[in-house]
Amino acid sequence: MLLKANMSLEVAIEKNVAGFRLAVEFTADGAPLGLLGPSGSGKTMTLRAIAGLEKPDCGRIVLQGRVLFDSEQGIDVPARARRIGLLFQNYALFPHLTVAENIAFGLRELPDAEKNRRVADQLAAAHIDSLAERYPATLSGGEQQRVALARALAIEPAALLLDEPFSALDTHLRSALERQLRETLGNYGGSTLFVSHNLEEAYRVCEKLVVLANGSVAAQGPKEEIFRHPPTLEVARVTGCKNYSRARRLPDGRVEALDWGCTLRVAQQFAKPPEHVAIRANHVRVHPPQKLNLENSGNVFPCWLASMTETPFRVTLDLRIGAPPAGSDDFQLQAEVFKQEWESFRNLPQPWAIELAAERVFLLPD
Amino acid sequence: MNWQAMVLSLKLAVCVAGILLAAGMPIAYWVTFSRWRWKFLVEAIVALPLVLPPTVLGYYVLVGLGPRSFPGKVWQSWFGHTLPFTFGGLLFASVLYSLPFAVQPFSASFETVDRRLIEASWTLGASRFATFFRVILPLSAAGAVTGAALSFAHTIGEFGVVLMVGGNIPGVTRTVSIDIYDQVQAANYDVANRTALVLLLFSFLVLAAIYGTNRRALSIWRRP
Repeated sequence: MLLKANMSLEVAIEKNVAGFRLAVEFTADGAPLGLLGPSGSGKTMTLRAIAGLEKPDCGRIVLQGRVLFDSEQGIDVPARARRIGLLFQNYALFPHLTVAENIAFGLRELPDAEKNRRVADQLAAAHIDSLAERYPATLSGGEQQRVALARALAIEPAALLLDEPFSALDTHLRSALERQLRETLGNYGGSTLFVSHNLEEAYRVCEKLVVLANGSVAAQGPKEEIFRHPPTLEVARVTGCKNYSRARRLPDGRVEALDWGCTLRVAQQFAKPPEHVAIRANHVRVHPPQKLNLENSGNVFPCWLASMTETPFRVTLDLRIGAPPAGSDDFQLQAEVFKQEWESFRNLPQPWAIELAAERVFLLPD
Repeated sequence: MNWQAMVLSLKLAVCVAGILLAAGMPIAYWVTFSRWRWKFLVEAIVALPLVLPPTVLGYYVLVGLGPRSFPGKVWQSWFGHTLPFTFGGLLFASVLYSLPFAVQPFSASFETVDRRLIEASWTLGASRFATFFRVILPLSAAGAVTGAALSFAHTIGEFGVVLMVGGNIPGVTRTVSIDIYDQVQAANYDVANRTALVLLLFSFLVLAAIYGTNRRALSIWRRP
């Protein structure tokens, strides 16, 4: 583990563009920070502002104690002097230069020996020595990504910004490249910002997350924390939670889920009265009908199938509690179950038993 | 066959193409990348020679550079003669007349350069100047060649401006197109025919060669 002294990146900026307002504030330390949010939430604009490609209306950007932007002091360091490595979504390799020339692009000021050494180092680290003399147009997407990363790292940037680095790749290439990226980031000494709309990807690569929604920060902190207890409905949505209902607290401590038409026991302590109750689709369990007769743990209700979607290993069931659905879109909850489980009850008569385990249900204050 | 006129036309066309390569690039760069709100006015001025009759352009150059105008006086005090009816005057007018034929292809090719490549260059520490020579220009080489070729060809074919600004001085301002006109006026159809044919073939060969190279230059980088 490298010693990361003052690897902080402090961002607090505002910008208004054509009806969209971006106002974000967060701090990154040495560990990779994920910027997670749906498209149009301001992730890319934030990244571009840090790189110096977009000028905020006001605010401050400080990288390792160096002020890059400060509207009050009138500081706006140009992109070329910020020493920030930016990995573009489509990689933006120079098509008229070879791989080696692309990597050497930012090293012009260096003496030849030093330049060649750095290019060789980057080629070796990214395992692309054999591609040195090739042109970008002849490379696969995964190879292009590695070249772009090597080019960004060659200038020994103080911060590395990755804009959806896997979105241009075929699915089967992603996991290997992701592993390599995690390894590269582990060896890299500066701050890393990883922009993604894919929550699983962001979760795997980053330690901490900043969730953006509609141009502002909806949550930030350690990733486990954000996934386990999303602070708001918006964050729950962004982190992939598909089931939520308006909620009312009952005198006996249980919570009535108004949209689902059921009353739930909950494990979570709450101070403020909850506005919403939610559960992730993969935490919803579905059992054969026999389970309904067992008056055990509670939070088990009769449910009917409205429609379903199949993926190779799992099925997503759209379910309705309490009464048979009127049509295929008349459902309240989605459950994601493995195929074997699905086989155990698919041919049994409905209603089936839906279980919303008390420790899996979470409450949202607003 | 008037070889003197032929050589003069070539000399003029090569000079115009060369000057426009150097002077048209910054104008095209500015037109492409400036965000000034009144930019369209400059674009309209650059495009004026496309629609203006050459006699109008020639007239203003004549008046603007003549001995009674301020620039004309300055020029005369430095060089001892006025510009109209000299090769320099003809060159100046021809450059103006071919300006859109250079600036528009340059600008169109600058526009095709992916914005992200330019930004990538900046984030890698390159200045705007360096980015132009290392990224934009190499990627718009085709437009540079086209612009130079068009201004060359356009100058060879120029008639009205030459007549207005250059007059008809053998070896100084009498270009091929004027020479052919003179021969036809004098009913020397044989000579006019031969000169015209040589001009036609030559222009075709030059353009074919340029467009041929152009296509190959493009294909090196844009391979699928």
